[in-house]
Amino acid sequence: MAEIEFKKVTKAFGSNKVIEDLDLTIQDGKFTVLVGASGCGKTTLLRMIAGIGPATSGQVLMDGKDITDLDPAKRDIAMVFQNYAIYPTMSVKENIEFGLKNRKVPKEEREKLIKEYAEVVGLSAYLDRKPGTLSGGQRQRIALARAMVKRPKVFLMDEPLSNLDAKLRVAMRTELIEMHNRMQTTFIYVTHDQVEAMAMADVIVLMDKGKIMQEASPEVIYRDPNNVYTAQFIGTPPMNVIALDDDKVGFRPEKIVLADRKLDNMPFAREGVVLTREMLGSETQYKVQMGADTIMVKTPNDSYKYEDKVVMNVAAEDLYFFDAAGERIRRGDVSNYDEYVRRVGG
Amino acid sequence: MSDVAMKQVFSQRRRRKYRNWLVSYAMVMPAIFFLILFTLYPMANLIQISLFRGSAANAYKSYIGLKNYEQLLFVRTDFWNSLKQTGIYTAVIVLLVLGLSVVFAVWMQDNRKLNSIAQTVFFTPHLVASISCAFIFQWLLSKESSGLFNTVLRAFGLPSWNWLGETSTAMGCIIFMNTWKSIGYYALIILSSLKSIPLEIYEAARLDSSTKMRTFWKITLPMLSPQLFMLLITITTGSFKVFDSVRIMTEGGPGNSTQMLCLYIYEYAFKRNNSLGMASAAGVLLMVVLLLITLLDFGSLEKKVHYQ
Ligand SMILES: Nc1ncnc2c1ncn2[C@@H]1O[C@H](COP(=O)(O)OP(=O)(O)OP(=O)(O)O)[C@@H](O)[C@H]1O
Ligand SMILES: [Mg+2]
Repeated sequence: MAEIEFKKVTKAFGSNKVIEDLDLTIQDGKFTVLVGASGCGKTTLLRMIAGIGPATSGQVLMDGKDITDLDPAKRDIAMVFQNYAIYPTMSVKENIEFGLKNRKVPKEEREKLIKEYAEVVGLSAYLDRKPGTLSGGQRQRIALARAMVKRPKVFLMDEPLSNLDAKLRVAMRTELIEMHNRMQTTFIYVTHDQVEAMAMADVIVLMDKGKIMQEASPEVIYRDPNNVYTAQFIGTPPMNVIALDDDKVGFRPEKIVLADRKLDNMPFAREGVVLTREMLGSETQYKVQMGADTIMVKTPNDSYKYEDKVVMNVAAEDLYFFDAAGERIRRGDVSNYDEYVRRVGG
Repeated sequence: MSDVAMKQVFSQRRRRKYRNWLVSYAMVMPAIFFLILFTLYPMANLIQISLFRGSAANAYKSYIGLKNYEQLLFVRTDFWNSLKQTGIYTAVIVLLVLGLSVVFAVWMQDNRKLNSIAQTVFFTPHLVASISCAFIFQWLLSKESSGLFNTVLRAFGLPSWNWLGETSTAMGCIIFMNTWKSIGYYALIILSSLKSIPLEIYEAARLDSSTKMRTFWKITLPMLSPQLFMLLITITTGSFKVFDSVRIMTEGGPGNSTQMLCLYIYEYAFKRNNSLGMASAAGVLLMVVLLLITLLDFGSLEKKVHYQ
């Protein structure tokens, strides 16, 4: 059980400031998912928590205690590395056992733990094999077992499922969620897959270029994004964002109602021409040309064809306004919110 | 397909196979040629000469069968002495050079400025000809008061010492000089494989609460094992054949205390009368000993070596 807090943390490699003045609290016992594009600093953040890539300035606290410069061995933190970092000269069993031996866990208990966690990750049959003779996915699972067996206070995972096939990935995902429910410890999970983030997280922390764009539950991230970046990162296809004078307006593809005419009570109603049509099964995805913009639409309505004229209607509560810098404008932020809604109508 | 056509296909296939066979042998021919010319032929020659009594001028004076071997192994004691000295020398060199190379490599591992200087300093002796090194050390260790070691001793008010002329220190001096000379080279080889170990593995070990010592024994050393094994074999065989430094620094003395095998062979071959056969026999025995040691290394240690 542990809460992790970053206070004005900066991390620089030479003169390249990867993370600057970051403030973030990762709640105790929650399954927190760090998402963001490649190179945004996710691994760097995890390494600061683990104590293997210390912060350049600022403080990292664990349960209120400063751990900025604490020895990694004393942190009670386990980490699954992005590139596994398993010990190539040791067998699967020795890999899992190494940390236990170092912490002087008695032999019977070690055997029991190894057996238990080898089972969890499905490596029981491979305990005596060297990692070199295993597949990428199997190696990744060694790394998982090695971290799990420590039963740490904080569990860091850097894209631990990236090399598994789709079926195994879904199975391991469920396994991790169950494990989290069972252990009730703090999980910090890195991924750049937004679907995985939405599926697993209690809290999503969305990062871009070392800055936190939003930190909230998946529902809030989806329904109430703070900025254009968040709005467009989550959702497939991402939110449509178009210019509205000096500001921007956004709406999700699945909230658009297609019709032949403007519908009542829909402030947004604009005409376009169907460019492509993809049948997804229960839903159909259209790409619609609307003036200079192309708009993605996802709807159960499959009646439109290529080059058909359609009117896209969006309800007032499904419209998101952003200022020129991409920050969200909510009702209450401005006195003339209704003015924005009216302007959308054109 | 008709019978004739079938036959044609087969013969075509056979011809192609034959041509492949021919090309592949043509490719390895140069290597085989030089192997025969410079390795197998001299070896056969050596074995042949070892069965004769003769000198450098006339190697095949009289055939005496295995008499030379009998002399070396059962009659004379100097061969056994020589083998023993060489064995001791090799064992100490292997332990010292391998151990120190690893220590220096680990020490030079971090990318500090001092380390690139240290690398150059350690490596330089390797560039100097072994003969020159031997001469330099002969001077350093000279019993005259001009010798550096003795100058230092005198500065501390201690009596001078005849380093190369005393049985108790002569061997040590040769070992010291050869260690000094080769350490930089081997340390550099080990350093390069040290640097190829991914840093994340060490970070994982730190998270696994491993102490520095344990990380070294359980992770670093096993990761280095292929290089260490290769060096073990080359240093062993190399040290068994030590010659030039001994020839210059002590000439086998004092007494027989630094009479290494190659020096022994050299003396029997060129400095005594009618003992070329004996020298050849000693050469053959040296070959056999090296072969046995190498086989022993492979048999006992290769299982422990971790190949990627
Ligand atoms: N050791 C290092 N030296 C210099 N720059 C580094 C180092 N490690 C990371 N960086 C830089 O820091 C930035 C963030 O890297 P980081 O590994 O945290 O990204 P990430 O979010 O984990 O990306 P990915 O999803 O691709 O793993 C990158 O621009 C990277 O180039
Ligand atoms: Mg990363």
